[in-house]
Amino acid sequence: MFDIYKEMWKRRKMIQALSIQEIKREYAGTLLGFVWGLANPLMRIAVFWFVFSIGARAGGPVDGAPYFAWLAIGMAAWFLLNDGFRLTQKSFRSKRSIIKNTPFPVAILPAVQILFSYYIHLILLAVVFVLTALSLQTVSLYNFQLIYYDFAALMLLLGIGSITAPLVAVSKDFGRFLDTILVFLFWMTPIFWSADNLGRFEWIIKLNPFHYIVQGYRDSFFYDIGFWEQPVYTFYFWVLVFIFFLLGNYLHKRMKPIFLDTL
Amino acid sequence: MDVAVSVKDITKKYSLYKDPWGPIKEVVTRKKLHKDFFALMGVTIEFPKGESIGILGKNGSGKSTLLKIITGITEPTSGKVDVHGSIVFLDVSSGIDSELSGYDNIFMKGTLLGYSKQEMLAKIDDIIEFSELGEFIGQPVKNYSSGMKAKLGFAISVNVDPDILIVDEALAVGDSSFQKKCMEKMNDFKLQGKTIIFVSHDNHAVESFCSKAAWIHQGELITYGDAKFVGSMYAEFMSGRKPIESIQAEIQYEHAIEQVHYGTTEDGFNLQLNGFVRDQQMVDVQGRFQLAIRDNRTGETVMKDLEPASKGFTVSFSETEFPLFFKPGKFNFWLREEMENKKAVEFSIWAGKADIREQQSKGADHFQYQFKVQQNSLELAIENIGKVEQQVNRIWVEDELLHIEGVAFVRGYETKFENDVLMKFYLTDLSSFERCVFPVEVSETEEITENPAYNPQGKVYNFSRFKVVLDMAELEPGRYESHLSYRMANAPHHRFLNLVWASKLNEYPREPYSTETYTADIQTANKYLRLEKTAKS
Repeated sequence: MFDIYKEMWKRRKMIQALSIQEIKREYAGTLLGFVWGLANPLMRIAVFWFVFSIGARAGGPVDGAPYFAWLAIGMAAWFLLNDGFRLTQKSFRSKRSIIKNTPFPVAILPAVQILFSYYIHLILLAVVFVLTALSLQTVSLYNFQLIYYDFAALMLLLGIGSITAPLVAVSKDFGRFLDTILVFLFWMTPIFWSADNLGRFEWIIKLNPFHYIVQGYRDSFFYDIGFWEQPVYTFYFWVLVFIFFLLGNYLHKRMKPIFLDTL
Repeated sequence: MDVAVSVKDITKKYSLYKDPWGPIKEVVTRKKLHKDFFALMGVTIEFPKGESIGILGKNGSGKSTLLKIITGITEPTSGKVDVHGSIVFLDVSSGIDSELSGYDNIFMKGTLLGYSKQEMLAKIDDIIEFSELGEFIGQPVKNYSSGMKAKLGFAISVNVDPDILIVDEALAVGDSSFQKKCMEKMNDFKLQGKTIIFVSHDNHAVESFCSKAAWIHQGELITYGDAKFVGSMYAEFMSGRKPIESIQAEIQYEHAIEQVHYGTTEDGFNLQLNGFVRDQQMVDVQGRFQLAIRDNRTGETVMKDLEPASKGFTVSFSETEFPLFFKPGKFNFWLREEMENKKAVEFSIWAGKADIREQQSKGADHFQYQFKVQQNSLELAIENIGKVEQQVNRIWVEDELLHIEGVAFVRGYETKFENDVLMKFYLTDLSSFERCVFPVEVSETEEITENPAYNPQGKVYNFSRFKVVLDMAELEPGRYESHLSYRMANAPHHRFLNLVWASKLNEYPREPYSTETYTADIQTANKYLRLEKTAKS
């Protein structure tokens, strides 16, 4: 039932090595290297802060957390989800030259992309963490809860990636569809607006598992809430991940012979 | 026998859609909208451990698909693959990222092949040295020439030390010294008892390097066995000499000519062939076959059924049965099987060990007959003994009568009287091979006797002029070639048969001769006299 995940675990060293290669590849030929991996998200955070806080005059503190810090932490989480989602769905298609010519456990490719996104994320997170900690002048034990939420995010991405990657490998149209969905998800996930604003419709937003991660990041930073304090939501999230895993494994098995031929 | 790789009954089907919406429409309408394309059909091969095995086939024959299935890059539609040992697919371009440096690519490819960084570090010096890239190893691969890329790819693949090495036409790139180095490395592999699967469309490379070979054609395994045998079959097919059906039949049956007996009697040449044809169960199957003899130049063929003999078959041919078939030229021997669809399949009968014997010659006025075995097939060459010098001096048409006038003589054979020589003129239809004979009038001329260039010894060749008159109205439409036979009435009684030589272009009609019902064209473009008659509709 979980064959591809067992394969990933067995090849974890290979995944690790390939994701490092991926970083090298990504920044090969640039002089500043991973600085670009940092500059782009920081710039986007700054722009959103400017637009909402200065431009739209909407940037009041959220439940006591300063808007800029609140936004930056939420965005940091979002960039991991965004990059992971975007790169994993293309993970077979972008590596077609390898898949077509090298005997290779293709099932691990989504994991490579997720790990690659995670490394980029860690750099950003470190910077944001330092900036926020300086501006809030607090460091809480709850900050360590980030490890749990990172793990949750990686598992979620792995589940989703295992579903999307084989589908996109078979159909390019599906890839376009997912790109569109990602834009929708970005606005529908409460990143620069608070879910509290929705009042009694908040539960709809909560169905979105990405919200669990983004909210978890903020809980760990500003509100000192542990994930065990909302057991239903946590339970829902993990059931969902479990279903994604099952579906991903099934689709991979089903689609592999097809996309090996059609890529 | 240890088996390195075995594939059992592998079939690979691709669905080809004309319409990009085809797969979706198919699901909705439940109609079949695709064409099935079988890249491989029921292929079964065992690759023994420690041998180098060639896979031959032309482009698009399915050999690369087979490799991809063996390496696990593609999954077969049905069938079973067993691989014992680690495989490296030596394809020079795969897994090389052009953005990364050569050095990083070594690790990249190593990772893809499942080696850890430490393992690769142990090999890296060998790889860099083998690749001959020197200081360029730190440069991005995008700056490499294609030869350098190939060297890098090859260096990585051969130095990671796999159990089974699969080589896909990789040696075509790179300079000759590097190619040599690669061959040496592969020979090392062989000596270490590793298995090499070598894919190529070049039978010479396979024959020289491999002990066994498989030949795949249009997804089917034609044959698998000794590399030299398979290579020669493949070469014959690729040169266009034989269609695939013939080769399949040839492999399907075991066949040989064991004895060739030939000689001449008063009635002319005769020939007896003894041999056998058996199927794979060693049952004699001569009843299905005919033996065909073909004139290589014209394609004229005579055939007879094989007669059962105490051991195998026997079949004989004689000049009386097939007059004028056995004339100067070259002849090959074929087994011919009529298929259900009226198409005949022919293949060259094996004659590698034929015992060729000439029996007592009773008639002396004949050609020289010579049998040879070339590339395991029998060939008969018939030649004139001596040479007839001949030329057509003039051709003209008068009231539908074609007049051909020329000279013919044999050096050293004097013709003082009209009866000293007997000539005949033949026209052979080039598609039906039907022949007409025309009488030749021999008359006196001093053209040769008085010409010191032809006659330095001062012999007498007075009766050397020939003249033929043929009525074109009576000739069936068709294309004809012409022969002149020259027979000595006195000793040594030789007989000659030659195509008619006509090289005095100015003396022949330039325009086709035309009447109300037909056109006749005298063709001498290739210096031999031909005649083409076409009926007007």
